[in-house]
Amino acid sequence: MDLYEKYGGFGNINKIVMAFYDTLLDSEEIGPYFDDIEMGRLIDHQTKFVASLLGGPASFSNEQLRRAHENLNITPDHFDEMKSVLSDTLVAHGMSIEDAELVMAEIETRRSVIVTKEFS
Amino acid sequence: MSIEAINEQLLRSVGVGVALFTDDGHQLEFSNDVFSSWFAGATDNEPLATLFPELDLAAMQEAFDAESSYSTELKFRIKRRTLVVAQTFTRTQVSDQVLIVLECQNITRIRELESMIESYSNMVERNAREIRREKNQVEKLLLNIMPRAAYEEYKDFGVVAPHRHDNVSVLVLEFSDFSNYVNTLPPATLVSELNELFSAFDKISDLLGCERIRTTGDTYRCIAGMQDDDQEHLHAIAKAAVRFVRFLARRNTSSTHTWQCRIGIGTGSVVGSVVGNQKYVFDVFGEAIDTAMEARALAGDMEILARADSLRDLPENISTQETSTAAASKAGLAALCEQ
Repeated sequence: MDLYEKYGGFGNINKIVMAFYDTLLDSEEIGPYFDDIEMGRLIDHQTKFVASLLGGPASFSNEQLRRAHENLNITPDHFDEMKSVLSDTLVAHGMSIEDAELVMAEIETRRSVIVTKEFS
Repeated sequence: MSIEAINEQLLRSVGVGVALFTDDGHQLEFSNDVFSSWFAGATDNEPLATLFPELDLAAMQEAFDAESSYSTELKFRIKRRTLVVAQTFTRTQVSDQVLIVLECQNITRIRELESMIESYSNMVERNAREIRREKNQVEKLLLNIMPRAAYEEYKDFGVVAPHRHDNVSVLVLEFSDFSNYVNTLPPATLVSELNELFSAFDKISDLLGCERIRTTGDTYRCIAGMQDDDQEHLHAIAKAAVRFVRFLARRNTSSTHTWQCRIGIGTGSVVGSVVGNQKYVFDVFGEAIDTAMEARALAGDMEILARADSLRDLPENISTQETSTAAASKAGLAALCEQ
Protein backbone atom coordinates (compact mmCIF):
# COMPACT_ATOMS: atom_id res chain seq x y z
CA MET A 1 0.00 0.00 0.00
CA ASP A 2 1.44 3.41 -0.89
CA LEU A 3 1.41 6.35 1.50
CA TYR A 4 -1.40 7.96 -0.44
CA GLU A 5 -3.77 5.10 0.37
CA LYS A 6 -2.33 4.55 3.83
CA TYR A 7 -3.21 8.10 4.85
CA GLY A 8 -6.76 8.11 3.59
CA GLY A 9 -6.51 8.95 -0.12
CA PHE A 10 -7.89 12.21 -1.41
CA GLY A 11 -10.30 12.47 1.55
CA ASN A 12 -7.40 13.24 3.85
CA ILE A 13 -4.70 14.39 1.44
CA ASN A 14 -6.82 17.41 0.49
CA LYS A 15 -6.52 18.65 4.07
CA ILE A 16 -2.75 18.25 3.90
CA VAL A 17 -2.64 20.14 0.61
CA MET A 18 -4.77 23.00 1.95
CA ALA A 19 -2.73 23.28 5.14
CA PHE A 20 0.51 23.19 3.14
CA TYR A 21 -0.87 25.87 0.81
CA ASP A 22 -1.95 28.09 3.74
CA THR A 23 1.38 27.81 5.51
CA LEU A 24 3.39 28.51 2.38
CA LEU A 25 1.31 31.59 1.56
CA ASP A 26 1.75 32.92 5.08
CA SER A 27 5.47 32.20 5.19
CA GLU A 28 7.61 35.34 5.09
CA GLU A 29 10.48 33.30 3.69
CA ILE A 30 8.88 31.51 0.78
CA GLY A 31 5.48 33.18 0.51
CA PRO A 32 6.81 35.83 -1.91
CA TYR A 33 7.41 33.11 -4.53
CA PHE A 34 3.62 32.89 -4.84
CA ASP A 35 2.90 36.62 -5.01
CA ASP A 36 2.00 36.58 -8.68
CA ILE A 37 0.71 33.06 -9.06
CA GLU A 38 -3.01 32.59 -9.65
CA MET A 39 -4.81 30.59 -6.95
CA GLY A 40 -6.16 27.82 -9.21
CA ARG A 41 -2.74 27.18 -10.75
CA LEU A 42 -1.01 27.07 -7.39
CA ILE A 43 -3.54 24.65 -5.89
CA ASP A 44 -3.38 22.48 -9.01
CA HIS A 45 0.40 22.37 -8.71
CA GLN A 46 0.37 21.53 -5.02
CA THR A 47 -2.35 18.87 -5.32
CA LYS A 48 -0.30 17.12 -7.98
CA PHE A 49 2.96 17.64 -6.12
CA VAL A 50 1.73 16.17 -2.83
CA ALA A 51 -0.15 13.35 -4.58
CA SER A 52 2.91 12.39 -6.59
CA LEU A 53 5.19 12.42 -3.52
CA LEU A 54 2.84 10.08 -1.67
CA GLY A 55 2.25 7.73 -4.59
CA GLY A 56 -1.17 9.12 -5.56
CA PRO A 57 -2.66 9.46 -9.03
CA ALA A 58 -0.10 11.95 -10.32
CA SER A 59 3.45 11.90 -11.40
CA PHE A 60 5.80 14.76 -12.00
CA SER A 61 8.76 14.01 -14.17
CA ASN A 62 11.99 15.78 -13.29
CA GLU A 63 11.69 17.67 -16.57
CA GLN A 64 8.22 18.98 -15.60
CA LEU A 65 9.56 20.03 -12.20
CA ARG A 66 12.55 21.73 -13.78
CA ARG A 67 10.31 23.70 -16.15
CA ALA A 68 7.94 24.69 -13.32
CA HIS A 69 10.75 26.06 -11.17
CA GLU A 70 13.35 27.28 -13.64
CA ASN A 71 12.48 30.97 -13.41
CA LEU A 72 11.79 31.09 -9.68
CA ASN A 73 15.41 31.34 -8.48
CA ILE A 74 14.76 28.99 -5.57
CA THR A 75 17.67 28.91 -3.11
CA PRO A 76 18.80 25.88 -1.05
CA ASP A 77 17.53 27.64 2.13
CA HIS A 78 14.09 28.09 0.66
CA PHE A 79 14.01 24.50 -0.53
CA ASP A 80 14.85 23.40 3.03
CA GLU A 81 12.14 25.67 4.39
CA MET A 82 9.57 24.14 2.04
CA LYS A 83 10.64 20.66 3.15
CA SER A 84 10.32 21.68 6.76
CA VAL A 85 6.82 23.14 6.20
CA LEU A 86 5.66 20.03 4.38
CA SER A 87 7.15 17.69 6.97
CA ASP A 88 5.43 19.58 9.80
CA THR A 89 2.16 19.56 7.87
CA LEU A 90 2.33 15.83 7.21
CA VAL A 91 3.05 15.02 10.85
CA ALA A 92 0.34 17.41 12.02
CA HIS A 93 -2.11 15.47 9.85
CA GLY A 94 -1.29 12.12 11.37
CA MET A 95 1.67 10.87 9.34
CA SER A 96 4.28 8.95 11.28
CA ILE A 97 7.76 10.48 11.58
CA GLU A 98 9.20 7.52 9.64
CA ASP A 99 6.79 7.98 6.74
CA ALA A 100 7.33 11.75 6.72
CA GLU A 101 11.05 11.04 6.46
CA LEU A 102 10.40 8.79 3.48
CA VAL A 103 8.56 11.66 1.80
CA MET A 104 11.41 14.04 2.63
CA ALA A 105 13.85 11.60 1.07
CA GLU A 106 11.66 11.59 -2.06
CA ILE A 107 11.72 15.39 -2.22
CA GLU A 108 15.45 15.45 -1.62
CA THR A 109 16.00 13.45 -4.82
CA ARG A 110 14.41 16.39 -6.69
CA ARG A 111 16.55 19.08 -5.07
CA SER A 112 18.77 19.55 -8.08
CA VAL A 113 15.86 20.25 -10.42
CA ILE A 114 14.02 22.60 -8.06
CA VAL A 115 16.90 24.64 -6.62
CA THR A 116 18.02 27.04 -9.32
CA LYS A 117 20.02 29.56 -7.34
CA GLU A 118 23.03 28.89 -5.14
CA PHE A 119 22.66 31.58 -2.47
CA SER A 120 19.97 33.79 -0.96
CA MET B 1 -29.87 50.06 24.61
CA SER B 2 -32.20 51.12 21.79
CA ILE B 3 -33.35 48.75 19.04
CA GLU B 4 -31.29 50.76 16.53
CA ALA B 5 -28.20 50.38 18.69
CA ILE B 6 -28.77 46.63 19.02
CA ASN B 7 -29.23 46.32 15.25
CA GLU B 8 -26.02 48.19 14.61
CA GLN B 9 -24.19 46.04 17.13
CA LEU B 10 -25.53 42.91 15.41
CA LEU B 11 -24.47 44.15 12.00
CA ARG B 12 -20.99 44.84 13.35
CA SER B 13 -20.58 41.44 14.99
CA VAL B 14 -21.83 39.07 12.25
CA GLY B 15 -19.25 37.05 10.30
CA VAL B 16 -20.31 38.38 6.92
CA GLY B 17 -19.30 41.73 5.50
CA VAL B 18 -22.22 44.17 5.50
CA ALA B 19 -22.45 47.65 3.98
CA LEU B 20 -25.34 50.03 3.42
CA PHE B 21 -25.54 52.41 0.46
CA THR B 22 -28.00 55.14 -0.33
CA ASP B 23 -30.38 54.28 -3.13
CA ASP B 24 -30.17 57.58 -4.97
CA GLY B 25 -26.43 58.27 -5.03
CA HIS B 26 -25.21 54.70 -4.27
CA GLN B 27 -23.01 56.18 -1.54
CA LEU B 28 -21.58 54.22 1.37
CA GLU B 29 -23.52 54.95 4.57
CA PHE B 30 -22.33 52.22 6.86
CA SER B 31 -19.94 49.23 6.85
CA ASN B 32 -19.18 46.65 9.51
CA ASP B 33 -15.72 45.54 10.62
CA VAL B 34 -15.58 42.46 8.38
CA PHE B 35 -16.42 44.59 5.32
CA SER B 36 -13.83 47.19 6.31
CA SER B 37 -11.15 44.54 6.80
CA TRP B 38 -11.68 43.32 3.22
CA PHE B 39 -12.16 46.72 1.61
CA ALA B 40 -9.84 48.79 3.74
CA GLY B 41 -9.85 51.71 1.30
CA ALA B 42 -13.63 52.25 1.49
CA THR B 43 -14.50 55.70 2.80
CA ASP B 44 -17.78 57.25 3.97
CA ASN B 45 -19.97 58.43 1.10
CA GLU B 46 -17.82 56.60 -1.44
CA PRO B 47 -20.00 55.60 -4.41
CA LEU B 48 -20.45 51.94 -5.35
CA ALA B 49 -19.07 52.62 -8.82
CA THR B 50 -15.67 53.69 -7.49
CA LEU B 51 -15.58 51.11 -4.70
CA PHE B 52 -16.36 48.26 -7.11
CA PRO B 53 -15.50 49.47 -10.64
CA GLU B 54 -16.38 46.09 -12.16
CA LEU B 55 -19.89 46.06 -10.68
CA ASP B 56 -22.59 45.96 -13.36
CA LEU B 57 -24.84 48.76 -12.05
CA ALA B 58 -27.34 48.39 -14.89
CA ALA B 59 -27.82 44.68 -14.11
CA MET B 60 -28.22 45.52 -10.43
CA GLN B 61 -30.84 48.15 -11.23
CA GLU B 62 -32.67 45.69 -13.47
CA ALA B 63 -32.82 43.17 -10.60
CA PHE B 64 -34.12 45.85 -8.24
CA ASP B 65 -36.81 46.85 -10.77
CA ALA B 66 -37.91 43.20 -10.80
CA GLU B 67 -38.02 43.39 -7.01
CA SER B 68 -35.25 40.85 -6.53
CA SER B 69 -31.69 40.85 -5.25
CA TYR B 70 -28.59 41.08 -7.39
CA SER B 71 -25.74 38.64 -6.76
CA THR B 72 -22.23 38.65 -8.11
CA GLU B 73 -18.78 37.42 -7.22
CA LEU B 74 -15.70 39.52 -6.59
CA LYS B 75 -12.15 38.24 -6.71
CA PHE B 76 -9.31 40.31 -5.34
CA ARG B 77 -5.98 39.87 -3.65
CA ILE B 78 -4.99 40.71 -0.13
CA LYS B 79 -1.24 40.39 0.04
CA ARG B 80 -0.53 37.16 -1.90
CA ARG B 81 -3.85 35.45 -1.11
CA THR B 82 -6.72 35.54 -3.56
CA LEU B 83 -10.01 36.30 -1.82
CA VAL B 84 -13.30 35.36 -3.45
CA VAL B 85 -16.32 37.15 -2.03
CA ALA B 86 -19.95 36.47 -2.95
CA GLN B 87 -21.87 39.79 -2.98
CA THR B 88 -25.63 40.14 -2.70
CA PHE B 89 -27.22 43.56 -3.20
CA THR B 90 -30.77 44.05 -1.90
CA ARG B 91 -32.87 47.24 -1.99
CA THR B 92 -34.89 47.76 1.14
CA GLN B 93 -37.02 50.43 2.76
CA VAL B 94 -36.04 51.52 6.28
CA SER B 95 -38.51 54.02 7.76
CA ASP B 96 -38.63 56.76 5.17
CA GLN B 97 -35.27 55.91 3.60
CA VAL B 98 -34.52 53.48 0.77
CA LEU B 99 -31.19 51.70 1.21
CA ILE B 100 -29.11 49.19 -0.70
CA VAL B 101 -27.85 46.44 1.59
CA LEU B 102 -24.70 44.66 0.48
CA GLU B 103 -23.89 41.29 2.06
CA CYS B 104 -20.44 39.84 1.40
CA GLN B 105 -19.61 36.21 2.15
CA ASN B 106 -16.09 34.87 2.00
CA ILE B 107 -16.26 31.85 -0.32
CA THR B 108 -12.51 31.64 -0.87
CA ARG B 109 -12.18 28.25 0.78
CA ILE B 110 -15.00 26.84 -1.31
CA ARG B 111 -13.33 28.05 -4.49
CA GLU B 112 -9.96 26.69 -3.35
CA LEU B 113 -11.50 23.29 -2.67
CA GLU B 114 -13.27 23.38 -6.03
CA SER B 115 -9.93 24.07 -7.71
CA MET B 116 -8.38 21.17 -5.86
CA ILE B 117 -11.21 18.80 -6.73
CA GLU B 118 -10.96 19.86 -10.37
CA SER B 119 -7.23 19.24 -10.35
CA TYR B 120 -7.70 15.88 -8.67
CA SER B 121 -10.52 14.88 -11.03
CA ASN B 122 -8.35 15.70 -14.02
CA MET B 123 -5.57 13.52 -12.61
CA VAL B 124 -7.94 10.65 -11.94
CA GLU B 125 -9.58 10.94 -15.35
CA ARG B 126 -6.20 10.99 -17.08
CA ASN B 127 -5.14 7.92 -15.10
CA ALA B 128 -8.43 6.19 -15.88
CA ARG B 129 -7.90 6.88 -19.58
CA GLU B 130 -4.39 5.42 -19.42
CA ILE B 131 -5.63 2.37 -17.55
CA ARG B 132 -8.41 1.88 -20.12
CA ARG B 133 -5.90 2.17 -22.95
CA GLU B 134 -3.56 -0.35 -21.31
CA LYS B 135 -6.45 -2.66 -20.54
CA ASN B 136 -7.52 -2.57 -24.17
CA GLN B 137 -3.99 -3.40 -25.28
CA VAL B 138 -3.78 -6.29 -22.84
CA GLU B 139 -7.20 -7.52 -23.96
CA LYS B 140 -6.13 -7.30 -27.58
CA LEU B 141 -2.96 -9.26 -26.87
CA LEU B 142 -4.76 -11.94 -24.88
CA LEU B 143 -7.47 -12.26 -27.53
CA ASN B 144 -4.67 -12.96 -29.97
CA ILE B 145 -3.69 -16.04 -28.05
CA MET B 146 -7.01 -17.32 -26.72
CA PRO B 147 -10.69 -17.29 -27.71
CA ARG B 148 -12.96 -14.73 -26.12
CA ALA B 149 -14.69 -17.29 -23.88
CA ALA B 150 -11.32 -18.37 -22.46
CA TYR B 151 -10.29 -14.73 -22.09
CA GLU B 152 -13.49 -13.90 -20.18
CA GLU B 153 -12.83 -16.83 -17.86
CA TYR B 154 -9.23 -15.74 -17.36
CA LYS B 155 -10.37 -12.18 -16.64
CA ASP B 156 -12.93 -13.30 -14.05
CA PHE B 157 -11.03 -16.06 -12.32
CA GLY B 158 -7.34 -15.57 -13.18
CA VAL B 159 -7.12 -19.06 -14.68
CA VAL B 160 -8.62 -20.94 -17.57
CA ALA B 161 -9.77 -24.40 -16.59
CA PRO B 162 -9.50 -27.07 -19.30
CA HIS B 163 -12.86 -27.48 -21.00
CA ARG B 164 -14.16 -30.28 -23.12
CA HIS B 165 -16.23 -29.04 -26.05
CA ASP B 166 -18.18 -31.98 -27.38
CA ASN B 167 -19.38 -30.55 -30.64
CA VAL B 168 -17.10 -28.16 -32.51
CA SER B 169 -15.68 -27.76 -35.98
CA VAL B 170 -12.04 -27.10 -36.67
CA LEU B 171 -10.29 -25.81 -39.78
CA VAL B 172 -6.62 -26.46 -40.42
CA LEU B 173 -5.07 -24.64 -43.37
CA GLU B 174 -1.57 -25.29 -44.64
CA PHE B 175 0.26 -23.47 -47.41
CA SER B 176 1.63 -25.72 -50.11
CA ASP B 177 5.31 -25.63 -50.94
CA PHE B 178 6.03 -23.46 -47.91
CA SER B 179 9.67 -24.59 -47.59
CA ASN B 180 10.34 -23.26 -51.05
CA TYR B 181 9.02 -19.82 -50.06
CA VAL B 182 11.13 -19.86 -46.90
CA ASN B 183 14.24 -20.62 -48.92
CA THR B 184 13.62 -18.16 -51.76
CA LEU B 185 11.81 -15.15 -50.33
CA PRO B 186 13.66 -12.52 -48.24
CA PRO B 187 12.57 -12.96 -44.59
CA ALA B 188 10.92 -9.53 -44.47
CA THR B 189 8.88 -10.28 -47.60
CA LEU B 190 7.87 -13.70 -46.30
CA VAL B 191 6.71 -12.28 -42.95
CA SER B 192 4.90 -9.45 -44.68
CA GLU B 193 3.10 -11.93 -46.96
CA LEU B 194 2.11 -14.18 -44.04
CA ASN B 195 0.99 -11.17 -42.06
CA GLU B 196 -1.30 -10.05 -44.87
CA LEU B 197 -2.69 -13.53 -45.46
CA PHE B 198 -3.29 -14.38 -41.82
CA SER B 199 -4.83 -10.95 -41.19
CA ALA B 200 -7.27 -11.55 -44.03
CA PHE B 201 -8.10 -15.01 -42.63
CA ASP B 202 -8.66 -13.43 -39.21
CA LYS B 203 -11.12 -10.96 -40.68
CA ILE B 204 -13.03 -13.72 -42.47
CA SER B 205 -13.01 -15.84 -39.29
CA ASP B 206 -14.32 -12.97 -37.18
CA LEU B 207 -17.01 -12.22 -39.71
CA LEU B 208 -18.27 -15.80 -39.64
CA GLY B 209 -18.02 -16.32 -35.88
CA CYS B 210 -14.92 -18.51 -36.00
CA GLU B 211 -11.95 -17.95 -33.74
CA ARG B 212 -8.34 -18.31 -34.69
CA ILE B 213 -6.55 -20.73 -32.39
CA ARG B 214 -3.05 -20.23 -33.62
CA THR B 215 -0.72 -19.87 -36.57
CA THR B 216 2.48 -21.83 -36.79
CA GLY B 217 4.59 -20.84 -39.77
CA ASP B 218 2.68 -22.29 -42.67
CA THR B 219 -0.50 -23.36 -40.85
CA TYR B 220 -3.57 -21.51 -39.67
CA ARG B 221 -6.13 -23.06 -37.34
CA CYS B 222 -9.52 -21.75 -36.40
CA ILE B 223 -12.46 -23.19 -34.57
CA ALA B 224 -16.21 -22.67 -34.30
CA GLY B 225 -18.60 -23.94 -31.65
CA MET B 226 -16.60 -23.07 -28.57
CA GLN B 227 -19.45 -20.83 -27.46
CA ASP B 228 -22.21 -22.90 -25.93
CA ASP B 229 -24.93 -21.29 -27.98
CA ASP B 230 -23.23 -21.82 -31.33
CA GLN B 231 -24.98 -24.76 -33.02
CA GLU B 232 -24.03 -23.76 -36.56
CA HIS B 233 -20.33 -24.42 -36.17
CA LEU B 234 -19.95 -26.61 -39.27
CA HIS B 235 -21.69 -23.98 -41.39
CA ALA B 236 -19.34 -21.31 -40.08
CA ILE B 237 -16.20 -23.36 -40.64
CA ALA B 238 -17.30 -24.52 -44.12
CA LYS B 239 -18.05 -20.92 -45.14
CA ALA B 240 -14.70 -19.77 -43.78
CA ALA B 241 -12.90 -22.51 -45.72
CA VAL B 242 -14.44 -21.61 -49.08
CA ARG B 243 -13.80 -17.90 -48.46
CA PHE B 244 -10.16 -18.57 -47.60
CA VAL B 245 -9.77 -20.40 -50.91
CA ARG B 246 -11.68 -17.70 -52.79
CA PHE B 247 -9.57 -14.96 -51.21
CA LEU B 248 -6.31 -16.70 -52.14
CA ALA B 249 -7.47 -17.41 -55.69
CA ARG B 250 -8.41 -13.75 -56.23
CA ARG B 251 -5.24 -12.49 -54.63
CA ASN B 252 -3.14 -14.79 -56.81
CA THR B 253 -4.45 -13.10 -59.95
CA SER B 254 -2.87 -9.77 -59.04
CA SER B 255 -0.14 -10.49 -56.52
CA THR B 256 3.58 -10.95 -57.19
CA HIS B 257 3.69 -13.99 -54.95
CA THR B 258 1.03 -16.64 -55.31
CA TRP B 259 -0.03 -19.08 -52.64
CA GLN B 260 -1.78 -22.43 -52.72
CA CYS B 261 -3.35 -23.94 -49.66
CA ARG B 262 -4.75 -27.23 -48.46
CA ILE B 263 -7.55 -27.27 -45.96
CA GLY B 264 -8.84 -30.00 -43.67
CA ILE B 265 -12.02 -29.75 -41.62
CA GLY B 266 -12.81 -31.87 -38.59
CA THR B 267 -15.85 -32.04 -36.35
CA GLY B 268 -16.20 -33.62 -32.96
CA SER B 269 -14.84 -32.94 -29.52
CA VAL B 270 -11.78 -30.99 -28.38
CA VAL B 271 -10.25 -30.01 -25.10
CA GLY B 272 -9.30 -26.36 -24.88
CA SER B 273 -7.08 -24.83 -22.26
CA VAL B 274 -4.41 -22.29 -21.57
CA VAL B 275 -1.10 -24.05 -21.26
CA GLY B 276 1.78 -22.48 -19.35
CA ASN B 277 2.03 -20.22 -16.34
CA GLN B 278 4.29 -17.47 -17.60
CA LYS B 279 3.99 -17.69 -21.35
CA TYR B 280 0.38 -18.42 -22.12
CA VAL B 281 -0.58 -20.54 -25.07
CA PHE B 282 -4.17 -21.43 -25.65
CA ASP B 283 -4.35 -24.82 -27.31
CA VAL B 284 -7.02 -27.22 -28.38
CA PHE B 285 -6.50 -30.89 -28.97
CA GLY B 286 -8.65 -33.91 -29.52
CA GLU B 287 -10.74 -35.73 -32.11
CA ALA B 288 -11.78 -32.73 -34.22
CA ILE B 289 -8.19 -31.49 -34.55
CA ASP B 290 -6.89 -34.94 -35.44
CA THR B 291 -9.56 -35.38 -38.11
CA ALA B 292 -8.84 -31.96 -39.58
CA MET B 293 -5.09 -32.66 -39.65
CA GLU B 294 -5.62 -35.99 -41.39
CA ALA B 295 -7.94 -34.39 -43.97
CA ARG B 296 -5.52 -31.56 -44.62
CA ALA B 297 -2.69 -34.03 -45.19
CA LEU B 298 -4.65 -35.65 -48.03
CA ALA B 299 -5.98 -32.42 -49.59
CA GLY B 300 -4.70 -31.19 -52.94
CA ASP B 301 -3.92 -27.56 -53.75
CA MET B 302 -6.86 -25.28 -53.00
CA GLU B 303 -8.90 -28.27 -51.91
CA ILE B 304 -11.07 -28.44 -48.77
CA LEU B 305 -11.53 -31.92 -47.33
CA ALA B 306 -13.69 -33.23 -44.52
CA ARG B 307 -15.08 -36.57 -43.47
CA ALA B 308 -18.03 -37.26 -45.77
CA ASP B 309 -20.17 -38.57 -42.92
CA SER B 310 -19.84 -35.27 -41.06
CA LEU B 311 -21.22 -33.23 -43.95
CA ARG B 312 -24.91 -33.99 -43.80
CA ASP B 313 -25.87 -30.41 -43.11
CA LEU B 314 -24.06 -27.80 -45.19
CA PRO B 315 -24.82 -24.15 -45.98
CA GLU B 316 -26.98 -23.58 -49.07
CA ASN B 317 -24.21 -22.41 -51.39
CA ILE B 318 -21.72 -25.12 -50.44
CA SER B 319 -21.84 -28.67 -51.70
CA THR B 320 -19.62 -31.72 -51.84
CA GLN B 321 -17.74 -33.09 -54.81
CA GLU B 322 -15.27 -35.84 -55.62
CA THR B 323 -11.90 -35.55 -53.96
CA SER B 324 -8.87 -34.89 -56.15
CA THR B 325 -7.14 -38.07 -55.05
CA ALA B 326 -8.35 -41.64 -54.65
CA ALA B 327 -6.55 -41.86 -51.31
CA ALA B 328 -8.76 -39.13 -49.89
CA SER B 329 -11.89 -40.73 -51.18
CA LYS B 330 -10.78 -44.10 -49.80
CA ALA B 331 -10.25 -42.44 -46.41
CA GLY B 332 -13.92 -41.46 -46.36
CA LEU B 333 -13.29 -37.80 -47.16
CA ALA B 334 -15.28 -35.48 -49.39
CA ALA B 335 -14.29 -32.17 -50.95
CA LEU B 336 -16.24 -28.98 -50.35
CA CYS B 337 -16.87 -26.42 -53.05
CA GLU B 338 -18.95 -23.31 -53.67
CA GLN B 339 -21.94 -23.80 -55.92
